[in-house]
Amino acid sequence: MRHGKYPFIVSFLAIPLLLYVVFVVSPYAQAFYISLTDWKGLSNTQNFVGLANYGELLSDGAFWRAMSHNLVMLIVVPLFVITLALLFASATAISRVRGSRVYQVLYFFPHVLPVVIAGILFAFFYNPQAGLLNAFLRVVGLEWLTRAWLGDTAVALPAVMVVMIWGAVGFYYVLFSAAMKSVPRDVYEAATLDGAGKLRTLVSITIPMIWESVQVSSVYLGIAALDGFTLLQSMLPDGGPDRSTEVVSQYLYRTAFTDGRFGYASAIGVALCLITLVLAIFVMRFARREQVEYA
Amino acid sequence: MTAGLDRRQFLQRLAAAGLLAVPATAALAACATSGGSSAPAGGAAGAVSATNPLGVAADAPLDVVIFNGGYGEGYAKAHEAMYSQVFPQAKVSHTATTQISQEMQPRFVGGNPPDVLDDSGAQKIEYANLVNEGKLADLTPLLDAPSVDDPNVKVRDTLLPGTIEQGTFGGKFYGVNYVYETYAIWYSKPLFAKNGWTPPTTWDEMIALSEKIKAAGVSPFAYGGTNAADYVLDLNLGAAIKQGGIDIVKNIDNLKPNAWKQAPIVQATQGIEDMVKKGYFFPGSEGLKHTEAQTAWVQGKAAFYVSGSWIENEMKTISPPDFEMTVLPVPTLGAGSAMPASALRTQPAEFFVVPKDAKNVNGGMEYLRIMLGKKGAAAFAQETASVPVVKGGTDAVAQKTPALASLSSALTTAGDNVFNWQFRTWYAPFSQALKTEMGNLLAGRSTADGFLTAMQAVSDKVAADSSVTKYTR
Amino acid sequence: MTTSTVKSPPERPAPVRVAPPADGPSRGERTMSVFSQGFLALWAILVVLPLLWALLTAFKSDQEIFTSPWGLPSEWRFDNFARAWTEGNIGTYFINSLIVVVSATVLVMLLGAMTAYVIARYTFPGRDVLYYAFVAGMAFPIFLALVPLFFVVRNLGLIGTYPGLILVYVAYALPFTVFFLVSFFRTLPVSLIEAALLDGCSHAGVFFRIMLPLARPGIISVGIFNFLGLWNQFILPLVLMPDKNKYVLSQGLAVLAANQGYRSDWSALFAGLVIAILPVLVVYVAFQRKIQEGLAFGGFK
Repeated sequence: MRHGKYPFIVSFLAIPLLLYVVFVVSPYAQAFYISLTDWKGLSNTQNFVGLANYGELLSDGAFWRAMSHNLVMLIVVPLFVITLALLFASATAISRVRGSRVYQVLYFFPHVLPVVIAGILFAFFYNPQAGLLNAFLRVVGLEWLTRAWLGDTAVALPAVMVVMIWGAVGFYYVLFSAAMKSVPRDVYEAATLDGAGKLRTLVSITIPMIWESVQVSSVYLGIAALDGFTLLQSMLPDGGPDRSTEVVSQYLYRTAFTDGRFGYASAIGVALCLITLVLAIFVMRFARREQVEYA
Repeated sequence: MTAGLDRRQFLQRLAAAGLLAVPATAALAACATSGGSSAPAGGAAGAVSATNPLGVAADAPLDVVIFNGGYGEGYAKAHEAMYSQVFPQAKVSHTATTQISQEMQPRFVGGNPPDVLDDSGAQKIEYANLVNEGKLADLTPLLDAPSVDDPNVKVRDTLLPGTIEQGTFGGKFYGVNYVYETYAIWYSKPLFAKNGWTPPTTWDEMIALSEKIKAAGVSPFAYGGTNAADYVLDLNLGAAIKQGGIDIVKNIDNLKPNAWKQAPIVQATQGIEDMVKKGYFFPGSEGLKHTEAQTAWVQGKAAFYVSGSWIENEMKTISPPDFEMTVLPVPTLGAGSAMPASALRTQPAEFFVVPKDAKNVNGGMEYLRIMLGKKGAAAFAQETASVPVVKGGTDAVAQKTPALASLSSALTTAGDNVFNWQFRTWYAPFSQALKTEMGNLLAGRSTADGFLTAMQAVSDKVAADSSVTKYTR
Repeated sequence: MTTSTVKSPPERPAPVRVAPPADGPSRGERTMSVFSQGFLALWAILVVLPLLWALLTAFKSDQEIFTSPWGLPSEWRFDNFARAWTEGNIGTYFINSLIVVVSATVLVMLLGAMTAYVIARYTFPGRDVLYYAFVAGMAFPIFLALVPLFFVVRNLGLIGTYPGLILVYVAYALPFTVFFLVSFFRTLPVSLIEAALLDGCSHAGVFFRIMLPLARPGIISVGIFNFLGLWNQFILPLVLMPDKNKYVLSQGLAVLAANQGYRSDWSALFAGLVIAILPVLVVYVAFQRKIQEGLAFGGFK
């Protein structure tokens, strides 16, 4: 397999790599350089300040508070999304409950909706007086559960996370469905003959078989949780009640465009990127399992 | 598009894109200079004459960027038509957008900003940043130029009080805040007439009335907690200033220690805390956007709403036709107030600037001069039912909408008793802090003292930050 | 990553039906079944309700939207749609989006598959660095790169052009595509590659004639996701497409939504939204069968 390998590799990688370097790597590299300056974003002069921005970052309370919100989302959102997606997928792809066909079509719909619009729609639902959620709670006699959802420090972040979960499940549902369907059915039959129930099958057989899908999904969801900009900005642009929902990407945006501190904002961005990378590498390397290949 | 380019050209272009020189100074310098113009600073110039006091080049194109927000873009097209009448050879380009920051920032960096920019809206570029980076042309020549209508009167004398101050940074005049926005309490006249409620002029009257309103099953006040909690600042800070005089707010603007703990401010903020405890704010307000709160208000679920004068325009399609929005100045704290009850906070807004690196600075200034003429002002007032900063600007509007009519008469009554504050314009950190802390105060999460302490901390931090340019008044 | 080969003939997995245990489903199984049926139905409602509501709202007047948000419209205002189409320019934006997103998706799937295949199946110095470079590309907040990106694109003379936006879309969709396709290509059997090469097939030939067809399900899935992701992408066009006539749909909607903070025309916003997503939904439903079939064959693991 040796001969002709390198010319082939180069020819295949040339164009994609060129595009990637020109449009992605180069701007990011420039942004990295900007993080070492005090650029204000308007003129073409800036002073090199070395790692001063990063030093400031370490003691910046607002940054760490925003990061804590991201971390909450990082733990909660992937957990719920993947669990729900796995349950739904196994129910409709393998067990084929009644209506599976319909579910397969419907469950994907939220993914089609732009996040900005989902934010607007759910803001209507969360309206304390006129919104559907509180109206529903009142109708079923659960009035004590009603809240000013987006204005209450205790529930604002969970309320936003619900929207994120709602929007994300469909994508991973389809992904896991496809993965599950590709597992040869004799594997499932063997499990059933051995007396395994549906849940047991799911946990001990299905998930390990599609583990790589679960892995990449976790990483991708984790990255989304560390971002969250579009959704948060459309629902709670000012950081939520007592800044309880502000995420790092919002803080970054504010620092850059409102405070005019592009250099510092770039440093925030670089820090966020590093944390995300660490997460991705951690999940990909340490959560590995033996990958089963079907010859 | 790269088809036909030979390899050498392609590599040259890549180099120009700053790729092969990762150190961004080279890249940014290349970016900046490759976009710059070779014309002299300020660009084209023409012969000065009686009809052309600013020396506009007759054929120089004019690039106008308008913020397409509450006032729309229709009035700008009228102004552009007026410009074209005077300079028919000049090609006028019109852009309207809500994404000012995203679209204009690269142009500023690249050295090709527009000739006239309406820097407004949530995505505006902060004025202080533009000024501090030296991006704006000094508009003093505009102020000293003769007005369009009467050559014996300078432009500066045709403007309503506070306009020049609002656009002045460090002694220089950098932008025309075109709309004379007034901040006050708004209510529905018919609703009050029907219930026999009298609009209050002092704080105690307001509390007594609020109790009556609440008894009638209506919330006295509403506010948009998730994105506009700071609107209510006009109630406490405004009342405090009316009571204690203009120095109260000058101390805040000048970042003086303990400025936020001045007695009238403490008293007024304590008043808000009491109002929260008595439940005078529409329940659930802390979870509402300003549009939702305003909707509840025009539906009659709340009596008063604190806002700027854009409110009527903004709620045009939602408020019932018989709402008759009426303005009410913020109350004073009691007898012996420094300003009369009719005093109003007027803060000219809608910041029109002429970037220093624009290709047609003189044309930009001329465009502003036209806007500030009687005809330009009337076109604006007619189109937007709002008050431009020109004296007599709304006189020509025949059919005034209810809010505009009540506002015009309120302004006449107030006369010279108008005040403003600058700290929000000068120092960016205050905006975020105000939204968060007012939100906390109004939701009952913090006390008046908590609010004032937090605001003082922000003020002290800005004062101590040597990298922030300071202004005084 | 170790792999072990399960020697069973590759068969076309029919819809997997798990036969119940010989003595019938247990009570536990039955309650689970009812519970899961209910839950599935509930989720279906939760998913459809917001969209149905948006559809209903698109027919209301601004006043109605706020005064009776949950009722039926008093009259069905089709003029909202007309207004969204003309004043909101939704029709033009739709076509712009179609041009840009379809081209970008096709291009990125081709280039992404090529890249992913090489990374997944070949060893060469710097391979892992390359892989993580792509992963990193997903991690960085996009609007920090916006200002430098603007200049790069401008200096290439591509601001406000379709090719410019398409190329940028491809570049920014590459990380996601490569990331997912690498994990997919890694499961395809090495033995096939070796056999084909021994038969005299070129590396490129192996890719185009054997691997790509085998990878069809993965390509389809990632292709759909790319299409939707790019369809809803609005931050990049905001910076790179300043010309109002060339706005893409998501951008137009985002601007329309932002305008609600200043001037309310909510009815046009909702109507515009319905126009924007309805065709996508229709296409998805229509092709859903094909997509499911494609996904089932071989499968994406």
